[in-house]
Amino acid sequence: MKGDTTPPTSGGRETRPPAVSFEDIEKGFFGVPVLKRVRFSAQAGRITGLVGENGAGKSTLMNLLGGNLQPDSGQLRVNGSPYAPRGSGDARAAGIAFVHQELNLFPNLSIAENLFLTEFPRAAGGLPWIDRRKLRDRARHLLDQVDLAHDPDTPVERLPPGERQLLEIARALGAQAHLLLLDEPTTSLSVRECARLFDLMHRLRTRGIAMVYISHALGDVLNHCDDLVILRDGEVVGRGPAAEFTQERLVSLMVGRELNQLYPVRTPPPVPADSRPREPLLDVRGITQPGRVRDISFRLAPGEILGVAGLMGAGRSELARILFGLDPHASGEIRVEGRPLEGGPRRRIREGLAFLTEDRRHEGLCLEASVADNLALVTLGQHARTPVRWLDLPGIGTAVARIRDALQVSTRVTDAQPVRTLSGGNQQKVVLGKWLLSEPRILILDEPTRGIDVGARFEIYQWIHRLADRGSGILVISSEIEELIGLCDRILVMRQGELSGEFPRGEFNREQILAAALHTSTS
Amino acid sequence: MNPAVPVPLRRLSADARAAILLPLVLFLLLAAFTPGFATAGNLGNLVVAGLPLLVLATGQTVVLITGGIDLSVTAVIGLTSVLGALVMSGDAGWLRGSPAATPVALAVMLGTGATVGLLNGSCIAWLRMPAFMVTLTTTLFMGGLAVWLAQRQVHAESIYNLPAAFLLLGNRPGLAAGVAIAAAAATHLLLTRTLLGRWFQAVGYNPRTALISGVPVGGTVVTAYVLSGMMASLTSILITARLETGSPSHGRTLLLDVIGAAVIGGTSLFGGKGTVPGTAAGVLFLALLSNGLNQLNLSDFFITMVKGAVILMAALLDVRRNRWARES
Amino acid sequence: MSANPTPRHPHPSPCRFIAGLVAVLLLLTGCDPSDPSAGKKSPAVPTAAPGGVRTIGVAFETLQTEFWVAGFDKLKSECKARNITMLEAVADGDAARQFDQVKNFIQRGVDGIILVPKDGKTVIPMIRAANAAAIPVVLYNRPADPTDARHTTVAPDNAAITRETVDYLISVAKRTGRKQKAMILLGDLSDVNALGRRDGFEAAVQAAGDAVDVVARVPTDWNQEKALAGVQSAFQAHPDIGLIFTSSDFMFPSIKSVLSSLGKWRKYDQAGHVILGGFDGDATAYQLMTEGYVDATGVQDVYWEAEQAIQAIVDARAGKAVPARIDDRGFAITQENLKQLAPRMWGAKQPLRP
Repeated sequence: MKGDTTPPTSGGRETRPPAVSFEDIEKGFFGVPVLKRVRFSAQAGRITGLVGENGAGKSTLMNLLGGNLQPDSGQLRVNGSPYAPRGSGDARAAGIAFVHQELNLFPNLSIAENLFLTEFPRAAGGLPWIDRRKLRDRARHLLDQVDLAHDPDTPVERLPPGERQLLEIARALGAQAHLLLLDEPTTSLSVRECARLFDLMHRLRTRGIAMVYISHALGDVLNHCDDLVILRDGEVVGRGPAAEFTQERLVSLMVGRELNQLYPVRTPPPVPADSRPREPLLDVRGITQPGRVRDISFRLAPGEILGVAGLMGAGRSELARILFGLDPHASGEIRVEGRPLEGGPRRRIREGLAFLTEDRRHEGLCLEASVADNLALVTLGQHARTPVRWLDLPGIGTAVARIRDALQVSTRVTDAQPVRTLSGGNQQKVVLGKWLLSEPRILILDEPTRGIDVGARFEIYQWIHRLADRGSGILVISSEIEELIGLCDRILVMRQGELSGEFPRGEFNREQILAAALHTSTS
Repeated sequence: MNPAVPVPLRRLSADARAAILLPLVLFLLLAAFTPGFATAGNLGNLVVAGLPLLVLATGQTVVLITGGIDLSVTAVIGLTSVLGALVMSGDAGWLRGSPAATPVALAVMLGTGATVGLLNGSCIAWLRMPAFMVTLTTTLFMGGLAVWLAQRQVHAESIYNLPAAFLLLGNRPGLAAGVAIAAAAATHLLLTRTLLGRWFQAVGYNPRTALISGVPVGGTVVTAYVLSGMMASLTSILITARLETGSPSHGRTLLLDVIGAAVIGGTSLFGGKGTVPGTAAGVLFLALLSNGLNQLNLSDFFITMVKGAVILMAALLDVRRNRWARES
Repeated sequence: MSANPTPRHPHPSPCRFIAGLVAVLLLLTGCDPSDPSAGKKSPAVPTAAPGGVRTIGVAFETLQTEFWVAGFDKLKSECKARNITMLEAVADGDAARQFDQVKNFIQRGVDGIILVPKDGKTVIPMIRAANAAAIPVVLYNRPADPTDARHTTVAPDNAAITRETVDYLISVAKRTGRKQKAMILLGDLSDVNALGRRDGFEAAVQAAGDAVDVVARVPTDWNQEKALAGVQSAFQAHPDIGLIFTSSDFMFPSIKSVLSSLGKWRKYDQAGHVILGGFDGDATAYQLMTEGYVDATGVQDVYWEAEQAIQAIVDARAGKAVPARIDDRGFAITQENLKQLAPRMWGAKQPLRP
């Protein structure tokens, strides 16, 4: 290989140059440094875990590799040769492939078409039309490598999220990639789908492919990575073989302080089940919507944090949307403090409901609007005076400033900044903040900590506790059973649109909850 | 990232407020190089000529902010003009000679724009039809209706002999300027200082987020089109009074200028962003451009080409602005 | 600001800048900026020597047909010959824009304005504005509706020229020995030219007694596509139409396309020929006549009209009396007199577009 002429850069552990190396990379935006002399490398045939809080600089590193951004100084090397990409074409040519958190597939196209979108196999003789048979055969071959048993002509929209992730990897293999960058690939995957993904990663490792794995799920990182690199505020604060780290050490390196617990202790302790007030805050009776949910009934007491566990597609988000009036239900009844709940979101907000959706980019925020405008959106009406609904701008400003301080949104963020430019954690704080301003009595949270770093998670949990202590009822939907166990007073489990289990705090058991979520008629 | 554009320039053009500098720069250039440009009379003409566009583009700005587009405004101008003239004309008006003719005609004219806006907005908000399709279709319908009405009533396209009270709006440039500027200023306050203004923005940025945050999305969209329709009617009133004639062909060539002025003024075609002062700057810019090039004895075809190029550049800048902002 | 002593300076003088601000303020206080004295005072506008004509503003509604281009070009060359600067403007069918263009001419202190108005009504406030600035106005080829605003119109006597043309068509029809079904393509009836041609046609038909029977009056609004559709449906209803008069020559291609598809596109000396007549005398008509397909067309004397328009302004500036109406008597060019009259037909000198 060409790399023979360049000296090895990684401490001489191997004679072969690393698959990719960052050498004193610096990058800043408008004078604010985002990466400070970042130096690490990833070896072929190993999985390198890259962890850090949101805003630590991971995305910028990926953008440098992908050619979307150029470093201010420092040198990138791929297989020892200098690498200065100017766009995604260069990255592809260098054998680098990305598997993103937001999938880059076209749902309306078939598996085969998605696999070969950039280079369709041509017909014999170089004629400019597509050889359908060759397309199918090559697709079949790639699908075998990632253990997907679908017909290559299946439209991608019919695949569950986990299999789409595998398909992305198949696409990377099809492009002869020797370096795979996996950015939060597990956020939308079920437990089983994750296991399949990790299996595949281990197999690819034996084929000599280098992988950089970015995730907030520290347990996965410790279990499946060979080397770790920890970033904080644009600096590498720790690196080495994964065996040298524990979860506690990772967390303290990432946040720069000791975090004794992942979940805050709840004070005062939750209300015992038997002494709950007779009138529930929220009373859901027999909600049914064909194809979505069936006969869901439960009660939510004031001050209670109620978790909803289940797999993707079990009907949890669908239930939340029905409760908030976004989707209809065919039968059943929803009551708030005894009064029936009707109408769209606007009327339900007036009844004291709030809904933090799972899709914060498309449903939670106006990404291009400012931080202040996003925070104020829900409660604008309270600051509008009749007859022309003239806004009390100073009043709004005060409210926004108050909630911003309370939420500890990063001080680098200004009120006028578009919320798109914020890190995931800060974005989620803005969504939470706009609902906190409305002082909700019933808060529905759908995957409130997805894609959010440890520090911000802790703060969001604290807010959930605080609201519950004030007497609000909280409904938390999460795919992380640990999170529900750490946070909730009671956990409901959903499976295939129905309630399949209920666990009070004393009886929390990870395996039993998982079993209730998974169980089919086999047992 | 495009290294060819220096960072300070990008930061300036990334800020939509910079649009306000454009007409100023053009004014200084023209004043320096064009004899006969910076005279009181010429500048007066230029401002008076720009008034209808100011009103029309202000209405369009509101619709663009909600993420829509209203292509029917020019047809509304024609229809409004014919209907108003059919009410008040001394030749063929239903209320000819009556002292109520002018006020009733004004009410009918504004009502026409509001009705068309209601129709447009309802199709878009409740029937979920694409804005360009709906407003293009209503354009055809209104255009045909206007000609048919005029032909049926007076066997001609144009209706003349409008009451003197109505013509005051055309004869007194100060009055017309007052009305136009008041309409623009009121819209500015609506957008920046009222709940409805914020709702327009929220719907334009992201209708799903707006809905979940309790914004009555449908009603907000309908209101925007009603407002745009009424602004088109007001434009029609100004043009009809100035030309002393009701005609279905009034305003026919304004469509590109309207959207162009808004976009030059920093209103985003992707929704959410836009200001009335920016749009006013865009109107002034276009007025300066065509007047200045005219003073240089360039042909109208050439001026139209330059205008088209400038508007295309502005639309390109809108796309770039979004991208640059995303990168920083 | 009227006595700016500095010579032309490449930088914007503060005087001018202040003048601009003052203009806006004046405007807001309701002062009419088209006040003629404002324009006269301005040093940047060249003013004519008493009696002389240095600049003329020419504002056309459209330049979309050869006819208007021919007139426009003739005005240009005539101005050049007389050493007059011509300022040009085209409104693309927008009356408000035309008003702004006229105001602009007035502001620039032209010595006269030649207008092809959008229509007979919207032009009236424009004429009044010119009257207020004491600038003579000539309407070229398209008259205004009755008004007290002072102006001169140079226009064809549409009715008379059409009558002459249609009389000839009817004489051809009579020679066939059969009563012919006839069709007229009407223009935009808000245009007095279109009205005059219709009237001339109807008068000729009336006078011919029962020699022809008018079975179709097709509205076109001066639009080729509309004409095409109209002719098509007329032939569907009356396949035996034998005489067609179009109110303007530029619609001949539409007629040709329908007749060709019906197998009726024949020369005047062939059997099955449909008698064809038009108005304007453009290049298409000239070619179709030399080829023998068209029998006759009424010719407007474009060159004479253009000369008269400029002469009227020169006369008005010199203080001579100018009539309110200058009639172009034109002529009908027919297969019989084609050779003799072609040199006077404007379309005969135009390059034909492919």
